[in-house]
Amino acid sequence: MPSHPLRVAVVCSSNQNRSMEAHNILSKRGFDVRSFGTGSHVKLPGPAPDKPNVYDFKTTYEQMYNDLVRKDKELYTQNGILHMLDRNKRIKSKPERFQNCKDKFDLVITCEERVYDQVLEDLNSREQETLQPVHVINVDIQDNHEEATLGAFLICELCQCIQHTDDMENEIDELLQEFEDKSNRPFLHTVCFY
Amino acid sequence: MEPSPEKGEAPSVVDMSTHEKVVELLNQAALIPTDEKLTVLKQVQELIINKDPSLLDNFLDEMIAFQTDKSIEVRKFVIGFIEEACKRDNELLLRLIANLNMLLKDESVNVVKKAILTLTQLYKVTLQWLVRSKAVSDMQEACWDMVTQMKGDVLALLDSENDGVRTHAIKFTESLIITLSPRTSDSDVPKRQEGDISLDKVPRDHSYIRYDVLCEEGKAALEKLLKFMVHPAISSINLTTALGALATIARQRPMFMSEVVQAYETLHANLPPTLAKSQVSSVRKNLKLHLVAVLKHPCSLEFHGQISTLLLDLGMPQSEITRSTPAPREQRKRPRHEQYTEGKKVKMEPALIEDDEDKEEPAPLSVPKPAAVPVAQSAIDLTAEFLRPLLTPENVANLVLISMVYLPDVMPASFQATYTPVESAGTDAQIKHLARLMATQMTAAGIGPGLEQCKAREEDLGKEGDTEDDSLAKDLLIKRKVPPVMVGQAISVVGQYPEKAPTTETPATVKRLPEPILPSAQTKMTGASGRKKVFRLADVVQPLSEAQIDNLTSKAVKRILHSEKAIAQSGMTHVRVKLLSRLVTQFEGVMKEDVLKFILDDIRTRSDLAFSLLFQEYNTYLSQLPSGLLDSYDHCLYTLLSGLQEKPEQRDGLFTKLVLEAPIITESALEVIRRYCEDESRVYLGMTTLKELILKRPSRQFQYLHVLLDLSSHEKEKVRATALAFIKRMYEKDHLQDYIEKFALNYLQLLVHPNPPSLLFGADKDTEVAAPWTEETVRQCLFLYLSLLPLNHRLVHELASVYTEAIADIKRSVLRAIEQPIRGMGMNSPELLLLVENCPKGAETLVTRCLHILTDKVPPSPELVERVRDLYHKRVPDVRFLIPVINGLEKNEVIQALPKLIKLNPIVVKEVFNRLLGTQHSEGSSSVSPLTPGDLLIALHNIDSNKCDMKSIIKATNLCFGEKNVYTSEILAVVMQQLMEQNPLPMLLMRTVIQSLTMYPRLGGFVMNILSRLIVKQVWKYPKVWEGFVKCCQRTKPQSYSVLLQLPAAQLTSVFERCPEMREPLLLHVQSFTPHQQAHIPASIMTVLEANKKPKPVEPVVEKELELATTASAAEETPATAQKEPETPIQQEAAIMKDEEEPMEQEESDPVIQEETDNSISQVEMVGAAETSSPHPEPDEKPDEEPMEGSQPEPSSQQEPEKDMEADVTEAEAGSGNEDVK
Repeated sequence: MPSHPLRVAVVCSSNQNRSMEAHNILSKRGFDVRSFGTGSHVKLPGPAPDKPNVYDFKTTYEQMYNDLVRKDKELYTQNGILHMLDRNKRIKSKPERFQNCKDKFDLVITCEERVYDQVLEDLNSREQETLQPVHVINVDIQDNHEEATLGAFLICELCQCIQHTDDMENEIDELLQEFEDKSNRPFLHTVCFY
Repeated sequence: MEPSPEKGEAPSVVDMSTHEKVVELLNQAALIPTDEKLTVLKQVQELIINKDPSLLDNFLDEMIAFQTDKSIEVRKFVIGFIEEACKRDNELLLRLIANLNMLLKDESVNVVKKAILTLTQLYKVTLQWLVRSKAVSDMQEACWDMVTQMKGDVLALLDSENDGVRTHAIKFTESLIITLSPRTSDSDVPKRQEGDISLDKVPRDHSYIRYDVLCEEGKAALEKLLKFMVHPAISSINLTTALGALATIARQRPMFMSEVVQAYETLHANLPPTLAKSQVSSVRKNLKLHLVAVLKHPCSLEFHGQISTLLLDLGMPQSEITRSTPAPREQRKRPRHEQYTEGKKVKMEPALIEDDEDKEEPAPLSVPKPAAVPVAQSAIDLTAEFLRPLLTPENVANLVLISMVYLPDVMPASFQATYTPVESAGTDAQIKHLARLMATQMTAAGIGPGLEQCKAREEDLGKEGDTEDDSLAKDLLIKRKVPPVMVGQAISVVGQYPEKAPTTETPATVKRLPEPILPSAQTKMTGASGRKKVFRLADVVQPLSEAQIDNLTSKAVKRILHSEKAIAQSGMTHVRVKLLSRLVTQFEGVMKEDVLKFILDDIRTRSDLAFSLLFQEYNTYLSQLPSGLLDSYDHCLYTLLSGLQEKPEQRDGLFTKLVLEAPIITESALEVIRRYCEDESRVYLGMTTLKELILKRPSRQFQYLHVLLDLSSHEKEKVRATALAFIKRMYEKDHLQDYIEKFALNYLQLLVHPNPPSLLFGADKDTEVAAPWTEETVRQCLFLYLSLLPLNHRLVHELASVYTEAIADIKRSVLRAIEQPIRGMGMNSPELLLLVENCPKGAETLVTRCLHILTDKVPPSPELVERVRDLYHKRVPDVRFLIPVINGLEKNEVIQALPKLIKLNPIVVKEVFNRLLGTQHSEGSSSVSPLTPGDLLIALHNIDSNKCDMKSIIKATNLCFGEKNVYTSEILAVVMQQLMEQNPLPMLLMRTVIQSLTMYPRLGGFVMNILSRLIVKQVWKYPKVWEGFVKCCQRTKPQSYSVLLQLPAAQLTSVFERCPEMREPLLLHVQSFTPHQQAHIPASIMTVLEANKKPKPVEPVVEKELELATTASAAEETPATAQKEPETPIQQEAAIMKDEEEPMEQEESDPVIQEETDNSISQVEMVGAAETSSPHPEPDEKPDEEPMEGSQPEPSSQQEPEKDMEADVTEAEAGSGNEDVK
């Protein structure tokens, strides 16, 4: 068993759906978890695909919620955005950007390859100090509610397995291979250093 | 360090001195659990390192004491503390470095990893500290020695078993390389590390630390890292880490950029084959990332071509590559600048000048290098250049064709991931790229002109610089002096380092690639096909074909199988058995069959193998449980059991044993058991086995029981009987009772169907569904039920309800079948009594049959009689019910019932009489009839002719007379006596008298007496009797003469009118009298005797006189009846003819009529029900009749007794006629 609880970060692009779903589940399971987005802005679906609602990372979930209620309550109720925001605001007040977080993690899980790339780029661009390793794993999850839920469970299972390894660094490789076979999807995995 | 705990503690510490606080905290820490301990220790650390460092020394020992703590976290904390303390006060290194060394060898990898991280920091700290101090103490020297040794240890950890430890070791190596190499002006320097020590800050004149040694160590570390990276079985994380480390090194120490880029190139062309697909993508992503990072560095310009080719291969668009490329202008400045700064250093170091000279000599050797090549030419470069002109289309095509042979069957993941279509095929750039790729491979494989050149160069170098450790330092100098050659030189020198091992003569780049792990032959072989591989058995062995595999395995198994005796002799039978069963269960197919056949060949001696195999199969099934299939086990068990079943003879109970020990009895196995039971010669053994199963396998006992129950209706008598016997025993078990009962009743219930269900015929006769019921099929449904009946009398009611619904044929069969069980139940059975009491409608015949069976040999019990009486009086007034219990009834009851009884079918009547007269064939029935024979006969005479026709009565009396043994002359005499005393006289009196006389002629005297007395009773007033009287006299002449003479004259006249032939003899008789005697004869008589002499009219007068003489009352009544009588017989005769058949129908018609009325009453609702009930009247008719007739329903037999009786009578008459003649 690892000597301390894993510090986990779940990262998607807007810190709304996928990362928050996983954040929700992981924190319920007792993980030391945080969630982030890597995008430059927080984007939520708008009335048309080319008209997303764009916020900056300072906007709270509450504010977004109110904004959308004002804009078109029915539409955003129907597509589940309001429900999602409501859930989010009960977890934390606003989305966080991964690049702005200087806290250290043992495990960073990203929800799509682009995010994974951004996380790697960010971590590699930081100056190394303690050389503490951080494992970055990408689990591809489509950005919709159902997939987010399924993905969150997968992530949760993965974290639980990792948490239960005797020596996480020594076993994670094999564990991921098993998970790949089991879930039938590839995981990108690398290690970075703080 | 950690501000929060300090803040939290601040208020409470205010009063205490820091010292006191620390003491208190340390005391606490010793006693509390890990989590809190860590918090407390962190507080202490904060206090003694940051708040009041003066205390550090005081509490050092106490803190360090925790390094032996059980908790990993605490030990890790201690390492962190050591780091912080040493950073705070370098002097502490002297005391703490040994502790760190201990922790570096901790048993927990997490502690070791932490220790590596700390050593990474402290290595730099120590070096800086030592460099700073001008005079180095012994202690410091020892400390440095230890640090150096620890550094070596950590580098050795690159070969650790543990992935994480290796990762940390790589990072340590990275840091070490950077520290042990000089920072240059083009170095990227992270802000944080600006103050860090690097080789350039190490004075060359240091008293203890030697610049050149450090430099050498740094390069050795790089060498080691590069070697590590090309390890073919490197893990993806290690590879990723190393890639990152190389990028860092390249950016911070651009002097190594060439090695780094080459390493990247080599890696890209030779991704480890052990990587999984996703790992390949991860690694490639990393490679791309780090390449871009390297590309961004200004010094990368020289390698731009290689890097961008790689990036293109990795799928990066050209535009992006261009974007990441630094502006070329700066690049030109840089070398100059570098040269400048380096030059300065050189000047400062006079010693280096010598080295410089050394180095300059090899330089000419590399003269063949074209000047245009910007970088020092490595072996790869040389080979690439050599190859380039050779890559004509023809050659390339040939190469491709040749290499086809070596292509692996399956495309490796790494290839699949890295393959990008060649876009610019045939262009100069592409040929160049190809040449380089090949050169990389060739060099790695240790061939090529470049390699040879380098070797030659090195040898030269070796001759001169032999045994010179300092040569490295010299190289450094050269680098600085001849910047263009710098990197290449450095490489060749790196190659020189391991020269100590004389066998490795290859240059550096070659040296790095092959690892001792790989045998050289292997390297070449795989190299040819474009990749390196770890030795894998699968690569060098030809896979066997399926058939071959099968063949070999089955042969192997057969050998074990047939070595039975040999192994038995060695006493290893159990091993063989185990081995075989394990092996065989793992394979499908023929082998199993073989083994099973082998077992069955001699099952007796091979039973242990059979059991072992069976258990093993079961085990296999269990181990795959939720999804496992029993098929294989089932097959094994089935084959074994069938084998045993088909074997003609075996009495050792192996079959039973196998069944009882099998973990599970499967369906098919049960089928075999069933077949076994059906075998008449083994039925007992089979069913005993089945019984054991039922009793000992409670979980599925009903399944087994079902089989047994099925067998209870088996067509083979023996099987059936055995099954029934077993079931009866089972039936005693409470928990099985229900099931058995249900089964029996289900079968019973089948009788309700108009046709026998296919169930009864077994599966194969399914086609005959519409066949009619036969005795056989009906019995099939009854066997089980009837055998249970005596055990559980309650069941009898079910029979009754089924019976009422069943068709006639079935009813008949049922009645025939129930004799045994009903008798078994006995008439004291309360349930049976209840049945009699309730007697469901339609079940009358059944009840009657039961009554008959019960009373057949035993007299009825009072209870039974009581029930029947009730039934008869209150519910079903069918007199036939009474017959079986007739002997239990009261006398008057019998007499009452008699008219009805005698109207029944003659055979039935006969039976009634048998019962009443005790003339049944049964032995020793001590039943006492309520009627004596005499009573019976008298009762018959007294039957009211309104209630019963005369003919029936006559028949009945005839029956009595038939029983000669019973009706002795004495009894008849008594009967006649009594009858004669009755008033009025019974109509049949004289018939009886005549018949008695016929039977017993010696009764003649008695009869005469009777006749005389009848005269007294004025017998002529009863015309029928009178007629008989005359007849009797006629028959009994001459005896009767005296009687005749007693008649009054008128009556005598009447006699003569009836039988004129009597007169003459009588007259003669009188005339033979003595005169005295004659005198006694009245004149009137004489007149009659003498006939014609007297006028007729006298008669009425005489009659009148006589009439007057008799008592007035009797005289007046009798003529009235007498006058009527002549008419009634005729009417009755007709009525009798009708009645003859009627009684049967009448009883029948009762219920029928009721039913019909029922139907009409509830017509509306009963339409559906009526359909079922309406067919009843017809079929009912017959079966109801039949039981009464026994098994002879023919009407002809009904007639026969009648005829017989008439014959009797005529005979009797004839007989008397004969007498007449005499």
